[in-house]
Amino acid sequence: MTEQKAPIGGRHVRIDALSKLSGECRYVADISLPGMLHAAVAIAPQAPGRLLSLDSSRAGKMPGVRAVITASDLPAANLVGVIFPDQPLLVEERIRMVGDRLALIAAEDAEMAWEAARVVDFEIEEEEGVYDCVRALEAGSPTLHGDSNLLKTFHVLRGEVEAEKDSAAVTIEAEYHIGGQDHAYLETQGCLAVPEGDRITIIASCQCPFYIQQAVSRVLGIPLASVRVEQAATGGAFGGKEDYPSEPAACAAVLAWKTRRPVRLIYPREFDLQVSTKRHAMVIRHHWGADAGGRLRFAEVDCILDGGAYAGLSTVVAERANVSAIGPYDVPAVKVETRIALTNNLFGGAYRGFGQPQVSVAAEATMDRLARKLGMDPLEFRRINALDDERNTTCTGQALPQPVMALPCLDQATEMAEASPAPRKAPESWLRGRGIGLSIYGINLHRGGQFLDRSSAVLILQPDASLIVRIGLTEMGQGVLTSIQTVAAQAMGLPVERVQVWQPDTTTVADSGPTVASRGTHSAGRAVLDAVRRLRERLDPIAAELLGCDAGEIRLEAGFALDSTGAKRIEIAEVVREMSGRRIESIATGWYRSEDRVFDEATGQGEPYSSYAVACHVADVAVDPELGLVRVERVCAAHDIGKVIHRTGAEGQVQGGIVQAMGWVLTEDLKLEKGRLINPSFTDYLIPTADDAPAFEIALLEDAPGRGPFGAKGLGEPSFIPAGAAIRNAVSQALGVEIDRTPLLPPTIVEAMGEEHPLAELIRSIRG
Amino acid sequence: MPDLIKTCLSINGIERTFHIPPGMRLLDLLREKAGLTGTKEGCGAGECGACTVLVDHKPIPSCLCLAASCEGQEITTIEGLQTGSELAPIQEAMASSGGVQCGFCTPGIVMTAEAIAREGLQAEAHQRLAGNLCRCTGYTKIFEAMDMLPALEAQDD
Ligand code: FES
Ligand code: FES
Repeated sequence: MTEQKAPIGGRHVRIDALSKLSGECRYVADISLPGMLHAAVAIAPQAPGRLLSLDSSRAGKMPGVRAVITASDLPAANLVGVIFPDQPLLVEERIRMVGDRLALIAAEDAEMAWEAARVVDFEIEEEEGVYDCVRALEAGSPTLHGDSNLLKTFHVLRGEVEAEKDSAAVTIEAEYHIGGQDHAYLETQGCLAVPEGDRITIIASCQCPFYIQQAVSRVLGIPLASVRVEQAATGGAFGGKEDYPSEPAACAAVLAWKTRRPVRLIYPREFDLQVSTKRHAMVIRHHWGADAGGRLRFAEVDCILDGGAYAGLSTVVAERANVSAIGPYDVPAVKVETRIALTNNLFGGAYRGFGQPQVSVAAEATMDRLARKLGMDPLEFRRINALDDERNTTCTGQALPQPVMALPCLDQATEMAEASPAPRKAPESWLRGRGIGLSIYGINLHRGGQFLDRSSAVLILQPDASLIVRIGLTEMGQGVLTSIQTVAAQAMGLPVERVQVWQPDTTTVADSGPTVASRGTHSAGRAVLDAVRRLRERLDPIAAELLGCDAGEIRLEAGFALDSTGAKRIEIAEVVREMSGRRIESIATGWYRSEDRVFDEATGQGEPYSSYAVACHVADVAVDPELGLVRVERVCAAHDIGKVIHRTGAEGQVQGGIVQAMGWVLTEDLKLEKGRLINPSFTDYLIPTADDAPAFEIALLEDAPGRGPFGAKGLGEPSFIPAGAAIRNAVSQALGVEIDRTPLLPPTIVEAMGEEHPLAELIRSIRG
Repeated sequence: MPDLIKTCLSINGIERTFHIPPGMRLLDLLREKAGLTGTKEGCGAGECGACTVLVDHKPIPSCLCLAASCEGQEITTIEGLQTGSELAPIQEAMASSGGVQCGFCTPGIVMTAEAIAREGLQAEAHQRLAGNLCRCTGYTKIFEAMDMLPALEAQDD
């Protein structure tokens, strides 16, 4: 073995690149088993309503159909739902959402199954619905569950807002309508259920195999240990495969249980868009004020999330939105109220940023407005108000450790933007604008979810000193297998190619909670380091004995164990052989759990997160003032990342996050008509293409170490959060008008430009 | 059951004969009849490009293409690019640039990129890749891979 550079921070080829590039990587739709059936789902096309009758006899007689299941045929609990058990797997009577399931079908091929799903006969009595989250909370609105649509309220209360109002020289009142988003992972939802006697294996495209394990155990009425969930290669997730895959998995499981055959369920794209969870749309009202010197005095935020028809993960999303509502600024008096309204719209779920991108668009828009009203430059105004080493207390009263990275990120991103002009991708005649988005992201799960913040790892050192690593957190494209490979290689002193990290399987590691909240590298990495520590408790003494030094001296590097001077060394493989000869166990487990924290729900004061990551994005845009088209020409991004584990992967996260956020604020419009998505295709729901990609300048700042392995901080969501705000602010600056609604579709932009615009009347007539 | 049609085509350089229903998509022939699951279905409607293969050297969404209409044509899929375990230059470039994340778009992207490179149209890569959606990468590292190609090819010679 030759000496190698330390893998941390490098650019080695990611662990799964070759299999994905060769076409050998198997996603769930690529796995077929002998005798396998294909599943389809019949759904309610309208909501709300009451199911008066359901007749699946026609479907059952269709060619190739082997089973039809309705609510009365279920083997055990008719229940899905991660946090609140409010969602039936199959409708018994009440229909609350388009997409509520009426019947499940298994047939010899997928076309037959979906064909049969179309001929399930039913009669639905239409009821009055509520499709507006503000109205849903008003008295007299039809309710979905119980007697109120208010699912939960959160607060942040700090200082005396009323008193501070007097000291403000300028104030802004605004109401923002922030749109939702579909995850649009390129691989739709899918899973394969394989019955084996009184046990079952589920192979699924997912973020949280442990959630699926629980859901399947519940609907089949069998112990958790009888359910094995293997994560298949997963073609993108972004939160959309956190809670949701439990539903298709439960469907496939009950069909497999009934037919005693493997059953595969793959969602067609249109179906996926129609029924899966979405980013929450929000209505956010602001009343903020600053004094004449430009210091923020108070911030009042009233935020309503459209939760849709079921609780899903809305409370967790709202929790983050709530404490993130004023951004990384020092404000003496804060009053935030965050409410979740249940409506008959598609239900909100996890989506990259967990509610924070929405509140960030609003916060950063209000910051720009205040700056303009004060006659100050938005950058200067942010510099005056950003948290720093002296004013380091967040709105929840938590003191940030030094160095606080808000100003360094702000300065770095704006300096990159100043250093060179943005490439001109749009015609010269378009108007140019620049906008800033600054955010602070609480790393890992909020205090409310800290019981889930754990992670398990298993290391198996092989006789040739190569290493198998099993973790409980999932690879969905974000690169966790590669970052864990890097961490393990660094910690064990092995070249990266001798370390193999395999996709999670619930039978190999303990329940590690969900792969969310940008915690993959952090939590799995910490668990791996714990396992390395335990493995070395056995390995180091043997190495020391062979080298004739103390166990405490042993360093592992580039495949060798060395003494403290480095003069004596021995291949790790030789040490492993010696261990094996002495029958010493070469497998070790590791565990991570987050630090316990204190947080008062009533006031929103305390430590919602144990540490934070700042990010600043500066967007350069061009806007066509005639048609209201927008082109993002460049984004300069500065990220407080703690430590770069894999440089290529980190850059890829930033670029991908920004482009996804760009789609969200510019073109991705969920057109709902009475809760039904009327644009369920990529022709009508527009996600960014290669031709839309902006240029990037990226700085990864390592000045403030985090609590992850080697000081790393999460990046998956910070890469998304500030971009929407930066783009909205850039468009507003280009046009010189405020825009309070996203996505920034051409009609929205034209409307914001006022009556003078030649198309104003046309837009008005279309809008009716 | 409608009558089956006999269709002969070449897949990755091998002449194959299939008896297929007239409505069968090329995508399904490849995935289900030929066992080549590297080609992915992302939308089934010609909107995402995940199913792109080369039909007589042109990138085509195989979900919109009837298999029977490919009689006598040469199909190249992702599985046909590498020689043994040696990756083609575009695959190498994508690996080192980091143009792969979840990988679901990757086979389609690689096939389109291969077609662009074969025609020497790298300068138009941004527009020509616009039919291949990628939700993960933000596209930049895919462009970087395309920019690496001439150098890699020169190395090969
Ligand atoms: S699957 Fe063919 S274009 Fe999407
Ligand atoms: S890598 Fe995931 S869609 Fe492109």
